[in-house]
Amino acid sequence: MIITVEGLHKSFGKLEVLKGIDCEVSVGEVLCVIGPSGSGKSTFLRCLNFLESFTEGQVTIGGHNLTGPKTNLNAVRRDVGMVFQGFNVFPHMKVIDNIMLAPMKVGKVSRTEARTRGMALLEKVGLTNKADVYPSTLSGGQMQRVAIARALAMEPTVMLFDEPTSALDPETVGDVLDVMKTLAEEGMTMVVVTHEMGFAREVADRVLFMDAGVIVEEGTPAQIFESPQHVRTQTFLSKLL
Amino acid sequence: MDFIEYLPPLLRGAGLTLVICIAAGVLGSLIGVVLGTAKASPNWIARFVASIYINFIRGVPILIILLFTYFALPLLLPALTFSRGFTAVVGLSVYAGAYMAEIVRGGIQAVPKGQSEAAEALGMHYFARLRFVIFPQAMKIAVPPGIGFLIALVKASSLVSVIGFVDLTRAGRIVTTLNQEPLLTFLIVGALYFVISYPISLLGTWYERKLA
Ligand SMILES: Nc1ncnc2c1ncn2[C@@H]1O[C@H](COP(=O)(O)OP(=O)(O)OP(=O)(O)O)[C@@H](O)[C@H]1O
Ligand SMILES: [Mg+2]
Repeated sequence: MIITVEGLHKSFGKLEVLKGIDCEVSVGEVLCVIGPSGSGKSTFLRCLNFLESFTEGQVTIGGHNLTGPKTNLNAVRRDVGMVFQGFNVFPHMKVIDNIMLAPMKVGKVSRTEARTRGMALLEKVGLTNKADVYPSTLSGGQMQRVAIARALAMEPTVMLFDEPTSALDPETVGDVLDVMKTLAEEGMTMVVVTHEMGFAREVADRVLFMDAGVIVEEGTPAQIFESPQHVRTQTFLSKLL
Repeated sequence: MDFIEYLPPLLRGAGLTLVICIAAGVLGSLIGVVLGTAKASPNWIARFVASIYINFIRGVPILIILLFTYFALPLLLPALTFSRGFTAVVGLSVYAGAYMAEIVRGGIQAVPKGQSEAAEALGMHYFARLRFVIFPQAMKIAVPPGIGFLIALVKASSLVSVIGFVDLTRAGRIVTTLNQEPLLTFLIVGALYFVISYPISLLGTWYERKLA
């Protein structure tokens, strides 16, 4: 297991957002997390790299317990890439510099090496010709692909995606999903919070349905989408159709 | 009446005003960056210390800061006996630091939270995030109000005459006692202040045009 989550609780003040999450992800697995707005999906994902601290429970990722006394969080985060709904590309840097920053400053990779790696990643996400422009000239879909390349530049073993296509124009969603599909095929371990049921159905090995801070149901895409067992899952899915 | 005679002391005063303003502008900006960063930091001790400094200095008239530094500090600790010029620079820097800190803090907090989170998720530690991601964006936001404050600082510097430092304002007053021509003298003094502060506003205009 590359990710193990046990009894995860998280509260914002008095509001308990995660009410005991248990979950495991194995190497190379693609886990899609679905659920209604406010059910705690983003919070759950953000707990996996400790962008959000949690109240109770254990998260182990790549053998490191996030709350362990000797854990170097930054070292763990280098192995866990994250892609945000709002892209969060660095607007003051050219596309290639966005991608080279962490390898150079965190990974201590040489400039030449970082650039070679960066150009290869841009090719992978189909943006070779955008290396030397500033992000403000890109479409949302292009920015999100830069963000994916930036996360991949640290050569992570796990990638976390928080609704990576929710802020995109419909035309550009496909390009981003294609990149993610390729990653999945290459064997990347991925946890994807998404409203793209088509993607979940096609790419996920397992789908997890969250509601009100708990995992209501999990199973293969076929199980969840064709024959959901719980009323809440059925209601959620029927609303999407 | 031969005005050429009185011009050199005024120019000398203007030169000294320029020097103390540059020194206090640079030092004040440094204090501002350090304390503004502290005020925006996740560390409550840093925030607390910065808040005390900022609130205290902003709540005290600059005249009192200058008078205190010049007359009271040496009584507390004889080693802190400064020349008039040095006191002027220290007083103005301490004062400028508090205002610059608020400007820098505002710039840092105006950078969207996602920027810092993205850097954090890449495994960058706090100071690397600040240096490579937050500062470059925050400074862009902080420069225009910072320039505005520097212009105000040039004008506030006229208060250093209270400790007997012969800056442009004091030079003007000395000259008027000699020539009995306050009208012309203070017109020249005003014009010289303008000559010092106008390039700063030009710098601001140039910066904003560069960003656009
Ligand atoms: N920083 C925060 N402070 C306080 N409450 C928060 C914070 N972040 C999230 N919440 C609350 O926690 C709950 C779960 O939020 P979360 O963002 O995890 O939901 P989500 O399932 O990702 O929803 P969506 O589909 O809208 O993205 C919500 O009620 C939200 O208002
Ligand atoms: Mg969310």
